[in-house]
Amino acid sequence: MTDRPLFPTQEIGSIARPRWQLLGQRGEPIDETARAEFETWSARTRFVAPDDPGVGRFLAGHSREIGAARIRDWGALFGLRYFESAGLDRVYDGEARRIEMYEYPIRQMTGFEFLGHVRSFDNKYYLKAAVTKEIGLERPYHLDEFDFVKTHAHAEPKLPITGPYTLADWSFNEYYLGRQKGWKGPGARRAAQREFVVEIARRAIRPTLAALIAKGCRVIQIDEPAAGTHPDEAALVADGFNAATEGLDAEFSMHICFSNYRNLFPALLEAKRCAQWALEFANRDGDGRDGYEILEIFPEYKDHRSIGLGVLDVHRDVIETPEVVADRIGRAAKFLGDPTKIWVNPDCGLRTRRLDIAYTKLTNMVAGARLARAAAAG
Amino acid sequence: MEIHTGLTGPFPRSEALVAATRDLDRGRTTADRVAALYRSAETEIVGLEERLGFDTLTGGYLDWPDLFRPFAEGWTGFAVGPVTRWFETNTFYRQPILHAPPERVPGAVARRLPVTPAARGIQRARVILPGPYTFAGLLDNRSGETVEGLVHRLGRLLAEEVRELRAVGYTTIQFQEPLLVVTPPTGARAEAVVAAYQSLATAADGLTTVLWTFFGDAVPVWPLLNRLPASVLGVDLAETEPGHLPPLADRRGLGLGILDPRTTLVEDPSEVARVAREVVGRTRPSSLWLGPGAPLDLLPWEPATRKLHLLPAARQALQRGDDD
Repeated sequence: MTDRPLFPTQEIGSIARPRWQLLGQRGEPIDETARAEFETWSARTRFVAPDDPGVGRFLAGHSREIGAARIRDWGALFGLRYFESAGLDRVYDGEARRIEMYEYPIRQMTGFEFLGHVRSFDNKYYLKAAVTKEIGLERPYHLDEFDFVKTHAHAEPKLPITGPYTLADWSFNEYYLGRQKGWKGPGARRAAQREFVVEIARRAIRPTLAALIAKGCRVIQIDEPAAGTHPDEAALVADGFNAATEGLDAEFSMHICFSNYRNLFPALLEAKRCAQWALEFANRDGDGRDGYEILEIFPEYKDHRSIGLGVLDVHRDVIETPEVVADRIGRAAKFLGDPTKIWVNPDCGLRTRRLDIAYTKLTNMVAGARLARAAAAG
Repeated sequence: MEIHTGLTGPFPRSEALVAATRDLDRGRTTADRVAALYRSAETEIVGLEERLGFDTLTGGYLDWPDLFRPFAEGWTGFAVGPVTRWFETNTFYRQPILHAPPERVPGAVARRLPVTPAARGIQRARVILPGPYTFAGLLDNRSGETVEGLVHRLGRLLAEEVRELRAVGYTTIQFQEPLLVVTPPTGARAEAVVAAYQSLATAADGLTTVLWTFFGDAVPVWPLLNRLPASVLGVDLAETEPGHLPPLADRRGLGLGILDPRTTLVEDPSEVARVAREVVGRTRPSSLWLGPGAPLDLLPWEPATRKLHLLPAARQALQRGDDD
């Protein structure tokens, strides 16, 4: 893609699920708030044709008649047009069809048993599975979702998928630990976890990636939010990435956030087929742009892969102005030493922010990239 | 040698309690109904602890959102802060923010203790509290006090807590100290920890105090741990290689965390007995305390329950010499 502008923009993951989609999927008639939301975003992003008779029936309260599948399709179209109308160069569907990033992929695999809920904090929980047998893949996943995006996207699609290290870290390791001889102390646990990560990568994620690539998926973001949990396992994150992508031809990136990157690099550099590090920075940034200093490690390590530069804080409603975005990009370019390596994106998925706030953040991000481009051109 | 068994931290919530607390957050049930469920789940856990022959009863600490919340909410000087990762796990706690030197409010923490264990006989109840070093190290200290000063102060405040608990009849108090083995203190900070535990030991004179470490290797910090006056030193055998554990410096109890809550794989009692016998032979403790290495609430309810059955099996295997 030689015609790509300097500082191209991309999304990172999910956005908040619109109320009309939540109600509609449940077969409930939409209320006034949801109707207004649908109409506002329809006018702004044109994600559905206003004269579609189905839309009229839906807005009249006939969710059941329209059906959950079609409403999900509208949700995916909304996600796509939301990003496209904000002006992003790489887009996906806002993960409109996904509930979360762990349970769904694990349910497409064999060898796992869901055992119940573990408390995350307060009254928040997550369902956790144990690997109890050799891992297999029931069916490659995200294929229909990708087909839909590919058919409807005007901008270049980038598919997000949960990485092997995170899926293993968020599961109990029963099978591979059980194969270790003797006391299951720290040494045995490390060896068993390595086997688990590499096996889930080889047996489940790689075949899924291969199937996606066969359908035309060219840009894939492997999400590893657990990578920062055990800093001494950074090499294992890389091993899992390598096993998942071995022999595959696509542009792969790795997304990590809210971690101490100094603990992860240089070990992560061993992820050989990773073309881009998509990282969070804005959350840790201050007025002095010190959040971006860490980028100095890449020239230090002579790593010349591109950076997905987080310029939007996804945890706060404060809207970054285009000038702040441009300043962050400019500062990051200095630390990195090469502006052509920078892609501009939010820190992470914007799911925790209201749709209108996230949208303004994104349009400002695009405007900020434009300002930075103009500044770089002199 | 006496062999004790028991829980060493919070137990997971039952699936019914998970559903009820979620419903509470969504306004679909009442606080009274959830409170009743907490009590029945606590009774169930105490029943399990009794059936399994545990020497101490905990009740599972089901309604403690995290180790620090009763203090952050009950003492003065604190606010409840942001969700923060709980060591290298996929679970979190709300970090207490300390705005001013903390002050203890009498009765505030005691009111939050599980009621069922004390009702079954207060001398069998095991109280589980944060240790002063872990407490000082994991809060957001905006009080202006140094970490060393804070360790001292929290040691004194926890000592007052111990006196209050002792006055109502509790006899076994455990202090949770994961940070001691994850980020071991050195120099003045280590001396502050020693002083804090001396305050606690004075307050707990005649009681059994358990200092439980987890999430880290106890071996590098073994000399310091041996300077801390606690009746029992507990180590997490998923993080500490049992073969590397040096002898105890004096005669006291040794806690062996033989259940690993990071995996649902149930440990083999014979293997546990073999390892425990080897460790005991080298460390020469006055008593042995078997339990989970780290809090079992990293597991769902059912696998945690299944794992607990290992404790009496391991004790029996040790007593019979199964591994010989």
